[in-house]
Amino acid sequence: MAQLISDRRDVDFVLFEQMEAQELAKTKQYAQFNKKTIEMIINEARNLAIKEILPTNKPGDEKGCRLENGKVIVPEEFHRAYKLYCEGEWLAMAEDVEVGGQGFPIIVTQAASEYFVGANCAFMMYPGLTHGAAHLVEVYGTEKQKELYLEKMYSGKWGGTMLLTEPDAGSDVGNLTTTAYPNGDGTYTIKGQKIFISAGDHDLVENIVHPVLARIDGAPAGTKGISLFAVPKIWVNDDGSLGEDNDVVIDRLEEKMGIHGNATCVMILGGKGKCKGTLLGEPNKGMRAMFQMMNEARLGVGIQGFSFGTAAYMYALDYARQRVQGRSLLEFMNPDAPAVTINNHPDVRRMLTWMKAMVDGMRSFIYYTGICFDIVRSSNDEAEKEKAQGLIEVLIPILKAYCTDKSFEVCVQAMQTYGGYGYTKEYPIEQLLRDCKITGIYEGTNGIQSMDLLGRKLGMKGGKPFMDLVGEMSKTVAQAKGIAGLETLAGQVEEAVGKLGEIAMLMGKTAMSEKVLTAFTYSYNFLDVCGDTVMAWMHLWRACVAKPKLDALTGGDPALITSKKDAAFYDGLVKTAQYFGSAILPVTLGKMAAIKNMSSAAVDMLDEGYAGK
Amino acid sequence: MEIVVLLKQVADTEARVAPTADGLGVSTGDAKKIINPYDEFAVEEALRIKQQLGGSVTILSAGDDKAAEAIRTALAMGADKGVLVNDPAVMASDGLGRAKILAAALKTMAFDLVLAGLRAVDDDSHLVGPAVAELLGIPHVGGVLEVTVENGSVFCLRAADSGQARVKAMLPALLSAQKGLNTPRYASMIGIMQAKKKPLQTLSLADIGISPDSVGPNAAKTITKAFMPLPQRAAGRMIEGGTAQEKAANLAKALKNEAKVI
Repeated sequence: MAQLISDRRDVDFVLFEQMEAQELAKTKQYAQFNKKTIEMIINEARNLAIKEILPTNKPGDEKGCRLENGKVIVPEEFHRAYKLYCEGEWLAMAEDVEVGGQGFPIIVTQAASEYFVGANCAFMMYPGLTHGAAHLVEVYGTEKQKELYLEKMYSGKWGGTMLLTEPDAGSDVGNLTTTAYPNGDGTYTIKGQKIFISAGDHDLVENIVHPVLARIDGAPAGTKGISLFAVPKIWVNDDGSLGEDNDVVIDRLEEKMGIHGNATCVMILGGKGKCKGTLLGEPNKGMRAMFQMMNEARLGVGIQGFSFGTAAYMYALDYARQRVQGRSLLEFMNPDAPAVTINNHPDVRRMLTWMKAMVDGMRSFIYYTGICFDIVRSSNDEAEKEKAQGLIEVLIPILKAYCTDKSFEVCVQAMQTYGGYGYTKEYPIEQLLRDCKITGIYEGTNGIQSMDLLGRKLGMKGGKPFMDLVGEMSKTVAQAKGIAGLETLAGQVEEAVGKLGEIAMLMGKTAMSEKVLTAFTYSYNFLDVCGDTVMAWMHLWRACVAKPKLDALTGGDPALITSKKDAAFYDGLVKTAQYFGSAILPVTLGKMAAIKNMSSAAVDMLDEGYAGK
Repeated sequence: MEIVVLLKQVADTEARVAPTADGLGVSTGDAKKIINPYDEFAVEEALRIKQQLGGSVTILSAGDDKAAEAIRTALAMGADKGVLVNDPAVMASDGLGRAKILAAALKTMAFDLVLAGLRAVDDDSHLVGPAVAELLGIPHVGGVLEVTVENGSVFCLRAADSGQARVKAMLPALLSAQKGLNTPRYASMIGIMQAKKKPLQTLSLADIGISPDSVGPNAAKTITKAFMPLPQRAAGRMIEGGTAQEKAANLAKALKNEAKVI
């Protein structure tokens, strides 16, 4: 059997050879996490993911969730996997030890997540959302709230969600109408309707704490009047015991294209006037709390998207290596030539190479962002921390949108590799493709991400974080120029980085001119070329690590590539990087040229011009 | 209750393996190494008995440097300490050689109960458990499916020809675990963090009083002539015919005249 979900060799390469996660052990924060420990963690995560979580993926998709007597029933297979996941204490692996976590570096949790989420994303959303909600309680909760909720949530005994969206308040969250009426005893009575609530109810836990965005009665309109509340499904008494049902009603479940194993709920709060909550943080500061959590949530969704991409690629590669069909193109006229496995066909190679370039590049991109989070957590150097935080701010919208969209395309190419079988339910790709799509939509659509990049992040702090990003890329270019065999690739990446700087200037200027609307019709295209350039940088960086190791193994003799351990891996990595520079980057330059044209057609055209009404 | 578990590190059961160029060995390539799955049952059972009766669980393995990882994983599951007999002769020994090494190591340790896997999934010799028991002169119960320890004895349910048997043995005894004995636990995150601090002792053959000549390739009782890859599966053949009746007739003809099985 082939490797499932992810290529462990590449996971190890990015962790230990490219990002050097073992170096984090030199900091006080991460002193316990040497290479051996990190390896054991990844071994166990992979083990649990493949043996216990992956087998729940298909049944979860086929059975979906049911609403019975007001309660959501998840696919029965999820119960055992959930129990094992909680017993292994994976839910809070990155949290500080004081709050019941294990204090792991973020980059290590990303490698573990790649396996867990790649095994069953719909399932992993239950503990994932619990983690996000618990983190809100940890950061904004009072001592009492922490005492009542935190341990229960981080251990997975209770669940958590995020109640934000309403029928008329999605991308425009400031429009929300859910209202909180003070009761005078520190509690509020909550009334409103929330939609698209993932994991809004389920039978994996005995209680759920819902963080709810609502407006205190009489508070200002828009985002300035929004507060955050903790609203338990079952009221929690002061002594921690469970009280009465808190009038949080599941109205119905959405019928969706994918992630059927996760319950997407329409929820009525306080339909009988008996729903209570307590403030989480200060009044009217709910959006600020949301924004502080947003980077992590968006990073999480980027990893979700990526996990579909890596899983789809590994399946497609395995299939292509085994599926015998058609003669070699070189033997096309010879009817007696044997049929070969399809990975020998140039057109299948095209798809496999493109998928590998995407998946490997995204893994490096995501783990790099993880290292930035770890620097913020562990560094003693304030300037270094500030720089890392700036990089996070710029990279997050790119990562979320680029990795989710490109992973969806990887699923499409993986299906194409299978041919007709890929379109059937007999093989796993069609589910991955359906499940993946949502990652480009929720947690801020990818269009919203691009507006965040252009509107907030590009000009942030006078443009310093963006320039820092360009500076980091240039460092790698300079390094690569000194490595024999990488000169061409270094030149290609240098050109793209230079052009990206120009395009960024143009986008920034246009967005501040009277052509602001035109600029924003290109915000997604701008994010896309930013993503391509980050990927090119990552591939160049990977090649900088791999090329000297390859040369040391083979002494430049191609005949030794097949016989020396690891040589084929490094060689593949260098060739993938060169492919990215030669086959993908020129298209990126073309996309930049398209942006430069700044066609205003999309803004100028009258609505009637699009089609008759 | 002092329990020792005999543990072997093997290539992942999902690894693709091939005969080495000289045909005398098996190459596992870059395959991940895991605890022999039958030994995992033994570890789990040892932890359960310890939970019930107290005492300690020691993992004993004979192998190379890499085998320490398998021991650490068992420590992360909850075992208390590890012992690794690490010597080049170990990897070149046959099953009987390994049994000699493990028995000699056990003689330096205190134990009431030894648990092993019924077989190792790499060489499948089914030999080491009973051979160690024989060398130590203690009872062996093979293929156990249920284990209860009471008053200095162990009561086992074991697989037997066309049925099952209940067996009692006096302690100390060696039991080898069959699939179905239990469901092994996964190492928890806390377990992994704690495992780093648990003692893992490395012993040489000299430490356990074994002369290198008495084990290793020269002392081996089994001689490998050659490993061969499985024959390639030939392509299937579609039976022609316009109707189901015709196809059935053609199939019968082929089975009779070509395959000569009817």
